[in-house]
Amino acid sequence: MISVRGLRKHYKVHKRPPGLKAAFRSLFHRDYTTVKAVDGISFEIQPGERVGFLGPNGAGKTTTLKVLSGLLHPSEGEVRVDGHVPRHREVAYLKKIMLVMGQKQQLLWDLPPAETFELNRAVYDVPREQFKQTLDELVALLELEELIQKPSRQLSLGERMKCELAAALIHRPKVLFLDEPTIGLDVSMQVTMRSFIKAYTERHGATLILTSHYMDDVAALCPRIIVIDKGVLTYDGGLQALVQRVRPEKRVVFRLERPVEAASLASLGRVVSHEPGSAVLQVPPEAVSATISRALSSLPVTDLTVENAPLEEVMSELFAETKARRATADGEGAP
Amino acid sequence: MSLRNTVRAFPTLLRVGVAEALAYRAELLIWVLSTTMPFIMMALWTAVAREAPVGPYTQQGFVGYFLATFVVRQLTGAWAAWQINYEVRQGTLAMRLLRPISPLWAYAAENLGAVPMRTLVAVPVAVLSVLVVGEQAVPREWWGWPLLLVALLGSWLITFLANVCIGAMSLFMESSRHVMDVWLVLFFVLSGYMFPVKVLPAWMATLVDWLPFRYQISLPVEVMTGVRTLPETLMLLGRQWIWVLLLGTLAVTLWRRGLRRFAAYGG
Amino acid sequence: MLRRYSRLLGVQLRASSLLAMQYRGDFLLEGLISLFWTFTAMAPLFVVYQERKAIAGWSFGEALLVVGWFTLLQGVLEGAITPSLNGVVEHIRKGTLDFVLLKPADAQFLVSTTRFEPWRSTNVLTGVAIFVYAFHLLGRGPSIPGLFAALVLLGTSTLLLYSLWILTVSAAFFVVKVDNLTYFFQSIFDAARWPSSVFKGPLAFVFTFIIPLALMTTFPAEAMLGRLPLRALVAAVVGSIVFAFISRRVWLRSIGHYTSASS
Repeated sequence: MISVRGLRKHYKVHKRPPGLKAAFRSLFHRDYTTVKAVDGISFEIQPGERVGFLGPNGAGKTTTLKVLSGLLHPSEGEVRVDGHVPRHREVAYLKKIMLVMGQKQQLLWDLPPAETFELNRAVYDVPREQFKQTLDELVALLELEELIQKPSRQLSLGERMKCELAAALIHRPKVLFLDEPTIGLDVSMQVTMRSFIKAYTERHGATLILTSHYMDDVAALCPRIIVIDKGVLTYDGGLQALVQRVRPEKRVVFRLERPVEAASLASLGRVVSHEPGSAVLQVPPEAVSATISRALSSLPVTDLTVENAPLEEVMSELFAETKARRATADGEGAP
Repeated sequence: MSLRNTVRAFPTLLRVGVAEALAYRAELLIWVLSTTMPFIMMALWTAVAREAPVGPYTQQGFVGYFLATFVVRQLTGAWAAWQINYEVRQGTLAMRLLRPISPLWAYAAENLGAVPMRTLVAVPVAVLSVLVVGEQAVPREWWGWPLLLVALLGSWLITFLANVCIGAMSLFMESSRHVMDVWLVLFFVLSGYMFPVKVLPAWMATLVDWLPFRYQISLPVEVMTGVRTLPETLMLLGRQWIWVLLLGTLAVTLWRRGLRRFAAYGG
Repeated sequence: MLRRYSRLLGVQLRASSLLAMQYRGDFLLEGLISLFWTFTAMAPLFVVYQERKAIAGWSFGEALLVVGWFTLLQGVLEGAITPSLNGVVEHIRKGTLDFVLLKPADAQFLVSTTRFEPWRSTNVLTGVAIFVYAFHLLGRGPSIPGLFAALVLLGTSTLLLYSLWILTVSAAFFVVKVDNLTYFFQSIFDAARWPSSVFKGPLAFVFTFIIPLALMTTFPAEAMLGRLPLRALVAAVVGSIVFAFISRRVWLRSIGHYTSASS
């Protein structure tokens, strides 16, 4: 479905140092540097797959999505989506895809979302019958009944994002690109969006690429993740496997009947947090059962759970790892 | 909002204003290129004066007049009304109000910051004027030059303070854009921008002398081309600065009242 | 495909009218101010003609015709062209132009039909009123073939204005802050208020061939007076089509730059 090979996207940006003299000099002469937003990425995605793009800010995720949707021309590399070359921006291709950007919106500001839906219907040439069906489905799933007749500017952020998502799906795209769709939304709205996106993609067999900084989004929706850092792909595979690789240690969370001394905890494993009523230990996976039995015998445990490290920590460790590796590589490469 | 704080911070504000103007040089160029009115009017009026002079102005007189108008307009422009309107609507005014200096100083610095760049454009035109019209394009007496600076500063202040007044109105009504439009229309017609005020019929001339517009363009142009005697110039400058004081008081009052209302009702 | 685009146009028009109804108070006020502007901007005309009978070969009534055409075109400009194209500037500023480019329809069409402001048509009516008054002053009616030619020229002038705007807006892709493009455009357009024979030398060249203001207001006025030669009419039609073609190419090139098509 989606095939990316050797994708590179470089920008020429001019440097603008601060200060009055520099500003004046820049009137006559400008210094340019090349920013490598994407520097050699390759991957394949099958139809119906849901893939998460993860990476620190400025990693190149949004750039990749824009290249895939035809908004940007790649500097180098081959990109194909469903047999089309995105940068040709064929009408047939554009009718199959959609890009939703969390921080920007396509809803008409002063008019109700219903008008934007109508507009999209006309632009995407959706037959009346199908439009009505799709709209009913979206309104039901997202609970938009009361929202779509109010001007967009009167809606709250969460309500607007729901309508934004609906507007994006009017033409039943086969491929969905979601760029930080849940940013700024409250927790319950995030959950709503996630379950909706999952239901939609499963029902219509759509292919999904999602970028998000909220690990819960990715964990809930994407069995496969691709990690992009500084324009380079550093990981491509299942989420669980990544966690295993980066932070295989498990966390054991204890609920304690009464406070215990730090020393007795420390003997069991690395203490992550220690509070009067609870404690969290980080333990290598092979030592989990041994640690648990020792803890149960030596501590006043009322409840315990075993979990993976929080994804946020896993990701920041992964990024730090990559950064360190690059620093040493740069250090070695320097003349 | 202590005075000492403001005085200490203002030079930096100015420096930043100038750097900003430099950074957005393309936009500044567009602003400069948008000052087409003097040249269009020059073409029109020189065509009119082809057969016979209009009032005291010959063809050459008009050329000199409108070149001077262009220079004055470049050096005395301000756009604070748009800024204030925009920031009230976008909600970014609240951010400015958090700072210990009145936003008015920041606006002044930003508007003034464009003057150096505009001088770069104005000076060649002034030189052109001298080449075309001769020594009548610039003050010939020694007192002409310092008084020209006073006139230019006064003109800038009137423009800026009027902008602030109108901008402050947006704190009371939804948008004061229309008030600005009306002001601009009156400015174009009554300030000497579209045609020298001397060309107007006599009854209008007295009206024009009482309004501030004439002191925005006409007065600096008159001082620049040195067509008035010293006592006349001083008297006109006096009237100009009375208007500066009036508008200044009005601006500060409207601004303060407006902010109180803004704080009470939110944006 | 024509059917598809006309359907799209219909949807856009509907959205604009809904908006116009919502903000009708605002728009009415703008219409009134527009009127105020029109008459006040005629002040130089009155001042000029209080002593002279003719300027550059144009009498007061004849010059009034040019002003009338200017007003009319201003109505077309502010009602049908400027609102949409200001939208492009907004899109570029907010970064939402991407959504326009994502849609399976021509970007220039989408962007040009976003917004219409029907209340601006007051200027069109004012223009016609000025015509009537001017001909009353001249003591005659317009020549009939001249009227037809004038209508054709209305079409070419609109096309020219639109192309000029597309060129101006294409600059928005290259310039960072573009808030004052409207102002810039209007300042240049202001020269069209006067009969083009007022401009001599290099300005005449600029205003005839580079920014063809002469075609837009002076030609139709002359047509109404029955003194526009046929070849001038043909030149106007051909010229506006060529201009439209050039502006389209520039637009496509600018979009290409935005999507870094050429790098």
